[in-house]
Amino acid sequence: MSLEKVVFGFFVLLAATLNFGFFLGDLSDPALHNVYELFAAVVVNLIATVLKFGDRTQIGAVHLATSLVADLQLIAAALAWAYATQISSAGWDGPAVASVVSLSGGALLANLVSVALLVIETVSFHRR
Amino acid sequence: MIRRRVAFGPSAETSSTIFLLLRRMRAPLIVLITIFAISVFGLTLIPGRDAAGQPARMGFFDAFYFMSYTATTIGYGEIPHPFTGAQRLWVMATIYLTVVGWAYAIGSLLTLLQDRAFHQALALRRFTRTVARLREPFLLIVGYGQTGRLLGGRLDLLGRRLVVLDTSAEHIDALDIDAYHSDVPGLVADVQNPRILAVAGLEHPRCEGVLALTDDDEVNLLVAMTAALVRPGLPVIARTVSPSIEHRMRAFGSPTVVNPFDRFGDHVRLALHAPTSYQLMSWLMSGPGAQLPEPGRLPTTGRWVVCGYGRFGREVSEDLRADGLELTVIDLNRDEDLGAEMIVGDASDPAVLAGARLAEAVGFVAGTANDTTNLSLVAAARKINPSLYVAARQNRPAHAPLFAAMEIDWLLVPAEVMAREIYAQLSTPLLWRFLQDMPERGDDWAAGMIDRLRDHCGTRLRTLWKVSLSPRDAPALTHWLGTGDARLGDLLKSPHDRSRPLTAVPLLLLRGQEATLGPDDDVGLEADDEILFAGEPAARRALLETMTDHIVREYVLYGRNVPSGRLWQRMSGRNPTGGKDRPGKEKNGG
Repeated sequence: MSLEKVVFGFFVLLAATLNFGFFLGDLSDPALHNVYELFAAVVVNLIATVLKFGDRTQIGAVHLATSLVADLQLIAAALAWAYATQISSAGWDGPAVASVVSLSGGALLANLVSVALLVIETVSFHRR
Repeated sequence: MIRRRVAFGPSAETSSTIFLLLRRMRAPLIVLITIFAISVFGLTLIPGRDAAGQPARMGFFDAFYFMSYTATTIGYGEIPHPFTGAQRLWVMATIYLTVVGWAYAIGSLLTLLQDRAFHQALALRRFTRTVARLREPFLLIVGYGQTGRLLGGRLDLLGRRLVVLDTSAEHIDALDIDAYHSDVPGLVADVQNPRILAVAGLEHPRCEGVLALTDDDEVNLLVAMTAALVRPGLPVIARTVSPSIEHRMRAFGSPTVVNPFDRFGDHVRLALHAPTSYQLMSWLMSGPGAQLPEPGRLPTTGRWVVCGYGRFGREVSEDLRADGLELTVIDLNRDEDLGAEMIVGDASDPAVLAGARLAEAVGFVAGTANDTTNLSLVAAARKINPSLYVAARQNRPAHAPLFAAMEIDWLLVPAEVMAREIYAQLSTPLLWRFLQDMPERGDDWAAGMIDRLRDHCGTRLRTLWKVSLSPRDAPALTHWLGTGDARLGDLLKSPHDRSRPLTAVPLLLLRGQEATLGPDDDVGLEADDEILFAGEPAARRALLETMTDHIVREYVLYGRNVPSGRLWQRMSGRNPTGGKDRPGKEKNGG
């Protein structure tokens, strides 16, 4: 067991779980989607991305790609949230919440692929 | 037997250096993200007050905005409302944290940009690209020491492209200092790694030869082996000073092996037996623009004193003794096999040198591997016997002025010998053939050749060039060569005044595998003959005109002035011979 693997697996999984936690619940209900959870998901996703830097294997490249997709979606969600709360006159309600949550849903898909890759990597490592 | 060709393919080491950069930046980036996240998160949790004095918390948007301008030391002040004491306390802590985070990240990036491994990765990448983009034939030089540098400069003057590998960064840096006409890609790398050779263009279709010139015989052997296995049939020239390595090299393909000490021994023998042949050889091998060297006055009777009995001293001693000369050898170590007088001791010790009875000797060789020792030995020996014939070995190029000031009778520079040999082989293979066959013709023949060269071109050798009488290179001469009475003398006349000969001397005529040395004017020519000339560049251009232009040919060969236009040819009734050929310059491109 290496500490590096533990940290790597921890962050990849945490990114997916936080993302899932934020996504869970009625799409347009502001009460079910805590913005602190979105913040945590963005930060943990960024850290997971940096952890994937510099791996030259094929699976490492796909790992990095999925993480970049998740980052992109979550940052877009954060921007949509900022627009809804700071600029838009409609405020933080139904349609705005729905767009933020659906963007994070896309990120969730990418994060799930990431977790799947992690599992595949682990299984194939055992076979060797 | 069909042998599968080994291929290396693209190297993993050359793949993007950005990975290296990213991998090294992992820790600083994570630290920076974490510090930012903690600061922003803390700021949203700490209670504040709005303008009306009501409790209000900062949102993520304002917190992120505030941290962004604070962490980057821009600082717009406290927004949206003046901070409370608790908020200021937290901001104070975060300012120091973020400054440390930024300093760490930027510091790491700068360190990385100056990192040796990163630089090497960048250099390898640039080198690989440059080599892969070469579209002209090039030579791969492995080992850019003294010999490599001398040879590189001369080959560059000929317009050959080069790619250079060396293990020493100092040698590759010399590439930037040396003035080359073309861009010479160079790389510091472990040349024993076959993959590096592949990166340097061993598998490149335009690679026309490999030169293994390092100081290490084993490395040269490995390079020659790799070249023979990866690209069978590719010309390889390898340096070695050991006969056993030479034998092992020849087991792989047919490399040209050059042993500087061995070649030097051949020169000593030639200089002893046939001083004029030696004079001619060193003149032709010196390259374009060389002055006729002074005739040697090597004493062939009497006793020689040789200081230093290493590989070099051994070779010289053997050649001198084989010629029946008496010999005294001075060296620190005793050699039992030596069949001559041997003095054990340090030659720079006056007592030891006195034991060699220099006053009665005729020749003196300072042949140690140390230039300072050699210079002081020469000075000491001259003091005892000013009339000595002195030969000295120069090891480092930087010491050349010192040796020149000593006016050594015969200066021996191993690197120079190597460079000249290889240059002669690569620049003009016909010259190489000439030099191989020339010693057999004897001293008188060489003297005649020198006289002929001096009459035609003076004491400075301007250029050496090869002429091929193929239909492609000499389209105007096809008819004349087919008549059967084509004489070399008829061709070598000035296109301006055919009573004057061209200022060029034919050195060698090659027909198939048969070579005629120093052909005279009456030698018959046939199609596809190859001739090596020495002479003025103007003569080269004149000869080219005669070979390609029908009108010039008419004048030079037959003395007829033929009009160049078809109309005037009709009207005057003067047509070029071999009527089927079209007159004029259409075929000049050839």
